[in-house]
Amino acid sequence: MPLDTSTYHLAHLRLDGRRWNELRRFHALLSTQASADGSSYLESGNSKVICTVTGPSEQRRSGAPASNAQRDSAQIIVDISLAGFSGVDRRKTARGSKDRKVMEMQHCVEECFGGVVLGHLYPHSVVQVNVAVLSQDGGVLAACINAVGLALVDAGVPMMGYVAAVTVGSTGTGGGSGGEGEDADDPVLDLNGLEENELPFLTLATVGGGGDGGGDAGEGDKVNVLVMETRMQMAKLESMVAVGLEGCKRVRALLDAAVKGHGKKVLEGKVG
Amino acid sequence: MAITILAPAPAAPPPSQHHLEDVTSDDEDEGEAMDIDSLPSHRSTTVITPGEKITDDVQWMRGHGTYIAPIDEVTIRSTLAGTLQKTNKLLSVVPLRARYNPEIGDLVIGRVVEVQSRRWKVDVAAPLLANLPLSSINLPGGTLRRRTSVDELNIRSFFCEGELIVAEVQSLFQDGSASLHTRSLKYGKLRNGYFLSVIGQGGGAGVVRSKRQIFTLQTARRSGGELQITLGVNGYIWIAKHAEDAEMEKEVGINRLEEQASSAMYSSQNDDIGPDTRREIARVAGCIRALMQGGVKVDEETVRRAYDACVELDEVEGEVQYLGGERGDAIVEIVLRGS
Amino acid sequence: MAPYANLPLSPAELSYLYSSLAQDPPIRPDGRSATQFRPLIAESNILPSANGSARICFIDGTEAVVGVKAEVEQTHENHLVAQNDTRDGERTGRPDPSSAGSWFEISIEIPGLRDDDALPVFLAAMLTEALLGDGELTLKLRINNRFHWRLYIDVLLLSQPLSYPLPLLSLTTHLSLLSTRLPALISEGDEDPLFSDDWEASTFLYTQPNSNAAGKLHQSKPPITLLVISAGENIIFDPSRDELAVAEAVVAISIRQNLLGHMEVVALRTIDAPSRLTASGVPRSLDATTGTNASVSNADAQALREEDEGQSVWRPPRGGINRAKLSQMMATATMENGIGQEVMGGLAGVQGS
Repeated sequence: MPLDTSTYHLAHLRLDGRRWNELRRFHALLSTQASADGSSYLESGNSKVICTVTGPSEQRRSGAPASNAQRDSAQIIVDISLAGFSGVDRRKTARGSKDRKVMEMQHCVEECFGGVVLGHLYPHSVVQVNVAVLSQDGGVLAACINAVGLALVDAGVPMMGYVAAVTVGSTGTGGGSGGEGEDADDPVLDLNGLEENELPFLTLATVGGGGDGGGDAGEGDKVNVLVMETRMQMAKLESMVAVGLEGCKRVRALLDAAVKGHGKKVLEGKVG
Repeated sequence: MAITILAPAPAAPPPSQHHLEDVTSDDEDEGEAMDIDSLPSHRSTTVITPGEKITDDVQWMRGHGTYIAPIDEVTIRSTLAGTLQKTNKLLSVVPLRARYNPEIGDLVIGRVVEVQSRRWKVDVAAPLLANLPLSSINLPGGTLRRRTSVDELNIRSFFCEGELIVAEVQSLFQDGSASLHTRSLKYGKLRNGYFLSVIGQGGGAGVVRSKRQIFTLQTARRSGGELQITLGVNGYIWIAKHAEDAEMEKEVGINRLEEQASSAMYSSQNDDIGPDTRREIARVAGCIRALMQGGVKVDEETVRRAYDACVELDEVEGEVQYLGGERGDAIVEIVLRGS
Repeated sequence: MAPYANLPLSPAELSYLYSSLAQDPPIRPDGRSATQFRPLIAESNILPSANGSARICFIDGTEAVVGVKAEVEQTHENHLVAQNDTRDGERTGRPDPSSAGSWFEISIEIPGLRDDDALPVFLAAMLTEALLGDGELTLKLRINNRFHWRLYIDVLLLSQPLSYPLPLLSLTTHLSLLSTRLPALISEGDEDPLFSDDWEASTFLYTQPNSNAAGKLHQSKPPITLLVISAGENIIFDPSRDELAVAEAVVAISIRQNLLGHMEVVALRTIDAPSRLTASGVPRSLDATTGTNASVSNADAQALREEDEGQSVWRPPRGGINRAKLSQMMATATMENGIGQEVMGGLAGVQGS
């Protein structure tokens, strides 16, 4: 069933009542699990993700000898599992193997954090990251990236800054309602599941510092993930990325607030 | 009541007013210029987050938990979420929580993971396993004895996989892993007690380095005797019955002492431990767990205070064996009030 | 919590733990009584996309999430046992208990393990066994003669398997089944089922505890599986990791509440006690490191070990569990106002978020 985008142009409100540049409800918690080195729980709208980090710990000798690059710095291994009940329909899991989409997501998250974590401080060790997606409603990759970042912060793994991720879509091409004027091609931020199925979208992540928007802009914001699996006009890309960068900044502020709030709680609880 | 089921405090959804607007207004202590000079010389209580700018003043040097931004090569930024620590001109960030980072001289408790040809690999809760070379232990029969190939063959009779040892960090390797030694009478294999771990508590909670890591605690029960509590800096804790023959050994001559100690040094045989002592060990363990869950640092003082609080509460409100839940919170409250 | 969680404990620790647990009354390392459970954090109905869901956190940091999803499936002819009285019209078939096992599917995910590894498969088999032994779940899943619900119960262990995760997974499954709701049926008889769109009108798979006030009959509840260990003469419930390591026998007891409100055992399994794989400790008199008594013969050494009877030197337990103790375990678990009822009662009080 095609998404009904025809009403969007009337009030500029989306299906769930948001405006084009509004994020969904964002809720993040740190240290949710006592037995892991670091853990986090993240809700972005109806997408829910739990992430646990174990490590850095000594590399187990398994199978192939580690390459030199791996020995000199910590290796990040990401394991994402989409729970069978996370989608609308129950997903059949293939025994023991993961589908290509999940493998790609894992690789993407690994690459994303490989460049941000200061792994050289922990030679020949491994940081094992387990992500469980409990509920998916759009922006799963973005939610995974945000959750992994928080869990790594919680585990005390040194990083250059936060990685904040967000999805951006573009209206106007879905539902055959294209060509209704310039207006129609608004980029929209943080798609939910329905929108994600219909609209072309990309996932964008940037690295930046904590504090307000990473101090001075231009220095803090570096794009380190840009994933797009749908087709759309090249011309729209720029505006979408621009909206995405702004969205990342806001997500980063939310992540930062979550960490600061958690930190305050930790510091209050103990003897001065 | 056989079971207590708690409300899910940690993962409950937030109240719906959690909106964008509130978030930024919360950070009252943000801003471009963090006034480092006015910071007390120990630790600040403001939380710094990864990537946050600490300073771009060139007079400061960067320490642990910071990096210099490659763009201008001046700005010092944090890599961790934690608090800022200032030592003279050195700025470092102490994480809220992280794995144990070994330092020379630390008293640690470790568990043997692997036995290799001339050394043991020991888990000390650090990112990497620690080394305990055969040459760094006291061999039975006095320190003067040479290490022989027989000792190498018998390496498992000293320490086996899974065994707990108390040791000191002797040196650090390039990669940050520790090399241990047990060349002292107070180090060696652990017996007569119970192991407990409070790792993963940074930012001042968990075990902190203090003057004394090993101390004895007189229990409230008469037949409970004395307990010896070893707080490994790495967050591993051993609570054991205090060995009474320690006094006796002092009378033995210095040469005999070596022999005396070494006869029991590698034994895994426990002494007779009375039920009251066992109960007190469980009680101390409960106190330490309560401290950990309350986010309070664990050192000699807090453990003693928690124990006293526990005894007091038992007298006032009736004895409770299990120190989880409310009783634990009450203990933590008393400990915090006292400080 | 320890990074090398699967290491054995040292013989001195094992010996201390075992002798403490074998005292009368047992002294557990955390001060609990023999039948006391650790507090746990539980919530149900946490996921909007599942028919039922629950999450439980144990105090040692292990955590599990269970989601239940239901699908309508056509009932295969031979899954039904023809009843004698076919003129009844309304109920001509009853699910055949032997084949109804395929009406629900339990899959268990444990981090670091493939889902066809031994542990998840074994755990799933045990949970399935308990649900099947109940017998009632399959009746509840029947829609009409041609269709039934198929339940997918996905169990996610979110933490490393620190201790044996069976009770955690079982309690979480119990909670999620309690919160499971199925859409209300609006079609009649054997026609293709049609369901109400109104989620408010949906019915609980298991009747809620507060709604049975009027009826005399108790409502059945999904089974739970408890872990029980024996040490010396003592029987200990809800063992922690340390306690499990020194257990002489580990038994998983699945119990359920029947319609009369009594607890009954539906399944029983013994689990390999990890203590059997440990190495025994060396008595001081045999210690090779002292170098004084290397000349003890094998027989003497054996005698010395036997003499100690595991009192101060660790000796892995031998033999199995006797019937008297096993029945004592079952009796304690199913006792009126006993542990089983208290655990179930506690879980019934968990509020959905």
